[in-house]
Amino acid sequence: MIRRTLAITRKEIIHIIRDPRSLSIMFLMPVIQLILLGYTATTDVEHLSTAVLDQDRSTQSRELVDAYRASSYFDILYYVSSEEELGQLIDQGDAKAGIIIPTGYGRDLTGDNEASIAFVIDGSLPSVASTAFSAAHTVAQAQSTALIERLYNVDVEAQAGVDVRPRVWYNPDMKSANFMIPGLIAMILQVQSTLLTTLSIAREKEEGTIEQLIVTPLRSLELILGKVIPYVAVSLFNLMEVLIIGVLWFGVPIHGSVLLLLALGVLALLVSLGIGLLGSTVAQTQQEAIFLMFFLMLPFIFLSGFFFPLEATPKVLQWISYLIPLRYLLVITRGIILKGVGLTILWEQALALLGFAVAMLALATSRFRKQL
Amino acid sequence: MTGRFFYVIYKEFIHILRDPRTLAVMFLMPIMQLVLLGYAMTTDVDHIPTIVLDQDLTSQSRALIKAYQASNYFDINRYAPAEEELRRLIDKGEYRAGLIIPSGYGSNLEAQQNAQVSFVIDGSDPTVARTAFAAAQTVAQSHSLELAGQRIGLSLETLPGVQVHTRIWYNPEMKSVNFMIPGLLALILQFMTTLFTSLAIVREREQGTIEQLMVTPITPPELILGKIVPYVAIAFFDLAEVLIVGVFWFGVPIHGSVTLLLAISTLFLLTTLGLGILISTIARTQQEAMYLSFFTLLPSIFLSGFLFPVEAMPTALQAVSYLIPLRYMSTVASGIILKGVGLRVLAREVMAIAAFGIVIVALAARRFRKRLE
Repeated sequence: MIRRTLAITRKEIIHIIRDPRSLSIMFLMPVIQLILLGYTATTDVEHLSTAVLDQDRSTQSRELVDAYRASSYFDILYYVSSEEELGQLIDQGDAKAGIIIPTGYGRDLTGDNEASIAFVIDGSLPSVASTAFSAAHTVAQAQSTALIERLYNVDVEAQAGVDVRPRVWYNPDMKSANFMIPGLIAMILQVQSTLLTTLSIAREKEEGTIEQLIVTPLRSLELILGKVIPYVAVSLFNLMEVLIIGVLWFGVPIHGSVLLLLALGVLALLVSLGIGLLGSTVAQTQQEAIFLMFFLMLPFIFLSGFFFPLEATPKVLQWISYLIPLRYLLVITRGIILKGVGLTILWEQALALLGFAVAMLALATSRFRKQL
Repeated sequence: MTGRFFYVIYKEFIHILRDPRTLAVMFLMPIMQLVLLGYAMTTDVDHIPTIVLDQDLTSQSRALIKAYQASNYFDINRYAPAEEELRRLIDKGEYRAGLIIPSGYGSNLEAQQNAQVSFVIDGSDPTVARTAFAAAQTVAQSHSLELAGQRIGLSLETLPGVQVHTRIWYNPEMKSVNFMIPGLLALILQFMTTLFTSLAIVREREQGTIEQLMVTPITPPELILGKIVPYVAIAFFDLAEVLIVGVFWFGVPIHGSVTLLLAISTLFLLTTLGLGILISTIARTQQEAMYLSFFTLLPSIFLSGFLFPVEAMPTALQAVSYLIPLRYMSTVASGIILKGVGLRVLAREVMAIAAFGIVIVALAARRFRKRLE
């Protein structure tokens, strides 16, 4: 049995090596994903280009503009002379925010009154807009406090109050690379191996070579194992690749046990292979396999908490997310790498993966055998 | 020429129709992307699950917990008996934040001293952590001000200060789906056309049928155009689908001209179809074509500002993003749909899209002809 399995493995490896372009893409893809995700996946926006319409032109208005400039959230790049001009800059996307200080601002403030300003924010990008929104208010609040201090000659800071000491655990610098890299490891284990398995079997079907294999003394289990082993190797290699670049280039610290990560990674690979095999029993051609996988992977990526926190999604989608193995795997990889926790904390997730692996593989082999 | 050209289209349509599963995927995929992105993609973080360890148990500590709860940022529904339990539950990921009020908090406040509390935040997701960090401080600050106000007998509302009236333009409720839909339109145009065109051509090559087509009187431009037209039709159908679902289901308002959007989309198709043909001249197998399409798609998604704002990226990647056609198409789509602007404002982007289209189509045509010879 082992000999026949290995023969299939050898055949599959020859297939892979004969296509050096696909091979290099297989290995390069995770690195590119890593670099793209490591650097681009951040919603932390600072230095928004901002236009100012100062109709007051007083010391007070200049002081306020300076306060906004000093906040590092806003880069005051344009001074405009009319509201139309401001509107045009924002329409074109050259400015993302606009401060409008009306005439009378300085007079109102010196007269102990409330002074109003308008703050225009381009809302087309909600993540940027919400940061700008709260920054606009925070700066104004600080400005008000400074004003009160001067007016009443009190030091607000020195007043007794609640002193919060936020401590950020696991990822103290709040770097997005630290969040994305464990996620990417999970993604590679899940997505790439599923896709490769489905494709390799769909190719044999499309080219009709699967019939040739079936008439040999090979049993279906040997055929599956033999075909799948090279892709397991590729996925594990990619995992190491991402881990090494993550640690050495992006400086992601690994707090937990790499051994446990690998062990649970192999478990996750079994799930992916099960899904891949199941997919290959559904798809007749490579094109179908590709689309089927796309179709599956979309909910995987968006309902697993890979990009966006699950708590923020509607309840129905949260329930569906329990059916997505990547959800559990993400908790595991992030738990081990960032939090440094072990099986005592992660046993529920590990059990869920085991359940998925058994169910998927059983389903896949029974369907596969029937098809043959 | 026209007759032969229509035969190729006819043949390609038969291919597509014979594979109803792929056809279903082609039409369902955009809807699924839209629903997933429309609902799942939200960066506004509130109701962060928070656990409290109240070692003080005074009316003051309860007032602070109430203030945190009232802020909407934190959902407090569990009290931990000890710090280990708090740690374990945050380790497990059941809670993302923990408020620790040490004993003596209330008496410190009564003695007019600063009272310290600790606020633990799970930093693994930076987006959540940053919001939690800022909110933790803001809540404490306003609570302090309230306490101070009570002592001095001043009400905060009557004090002078700067009042900011924020106006959010284009997307006043800051709904993520309003932002997603223009981006998704652009992405679907690129994704469907590049991938399908390259796959359709490479399949003929892989199966050897392209030689059979070459010995017929069909000229290469006829062949290419004929193969492309069905996918262009599907891409436009998908675009309409997304627009309709976006408007009627998600309530996304279209402020600008739909005709202009369709016109610029057509211009953008030059780029994406050209890219598909270019890939088909490089790839020998469908698998390679799929990989190469991905290879162009990934940077497009990440560097176009579709998921994450370009402004937040390192300068080098921001520079690279100017080479991504999708970036301009996203700007055009969101400009027309959300901002309601016209050609006058979008002139730069349209010019860039046209330039990309001409260069890529020229390149693709040259390579394709060479391969056939």
